[in-house]
Amino acid sequence: MAYSEKLIDHYENPRNIGSFDKTAEDVGTGLVGAPACGDVMKLQIKVGADGLIEDAKFKTFGCGSAIASSSLVTEWVKGKTIDEAETIKNTDIARHLALPPVKIHCSVLAEDAIKAAIADYRSKATKKAE
Amino acid sequence: MDHFARLGLPAALDLDAAALDRAYFALQRQWHPDRFVAKPPEDRVRASAEAASVNEAYRTLKDPLSRAFYMAGMAGVDLPGDGKTIDDPDLLMEAMEAREALHDADTPEAVDKLAVEARQDVHKALAELASLFLANDRAAIRKTLLRLRYLDKFAEEARARRMNIDRSNA
Repeated sequence: MAYSEKLIDHYENPRNIGSFDKTAEDVGTGLVGAPACGDVMKLQIKVGADGLIEDAKFKTFGCGSAIASSSLVTEWVKGKTIDEAETIKNTDIARHLALPPVKIHCSVLAEDAIKAAIADYRSKATKKAE
Repeated sequence: MDHFARLGLPAALDLDAAALDRAYFALQRQWHPDRFVAKPPEDRVRASAEAASVNEAYRTLKDPLSRAFYMAGMAGVDLPGDGKTIDDPDLLMEAMEAREALHDADTPEAVDKLAVEARQDVHKALAELASLFLANDRAAIRKTLLRLRYLDKFAEEARARRMNIDRSNA
């Protein structure tokens, strides 16, 4: 199977691998998994006082397409508002990396991970406001 | 007819492996195409359909994990299929930490230790599952099966890690 150059690049040189303190108020953590293939993905965002995502990190155990999808998403969300980041669709990820049809679920995982990270950040912000 | 009935066995998770083999080989002989060469076409068709069902039943029930997933389907447990994601934090945190530990394990001994622990976890989870099936606790069956999926994946990754270490030491 031929993989795209963009996919191979993200797989071989993944961006933003790592972790933030998940208890920090300005950090949102999304932890999602695809049990059918045993993949697990953690994606974290750090939101600045101006409401923009200033940094993002990920840690993924899974196939190359799952690693590339999460790497790409961390690049995409930086500098965006959380509302903008929430609009990222798995189809955008799949198209950008030219994922083969059998690997589309990896992009679904990345979309769910960023949504979960945003939900976590929002629930922290709501708690703080109360 | 379900796979257990097909092989004339009780629908139990702790199926006796020897009884399963015996039932399978007996039925395989009974429906073997060689015994139907001189029979009318409809009998030959029937025999080949029976043989295929028996093979499928055996393949499904032989492996404990595959058997457990099959039983879950029989019990109406809703499991996420291909491309479906889950967000159970306990389960995923456990899986993430296990994979991190494996990633950090850099000697054959360290990898083996993790693999042994994972195998023990699999046995424990399968034993729990047996009583969960008896109680028909669908939510707990689902959770335990998903955990087993991750433990199974871990075992596969541990084997790969072990081979990599062995190769780089060779």
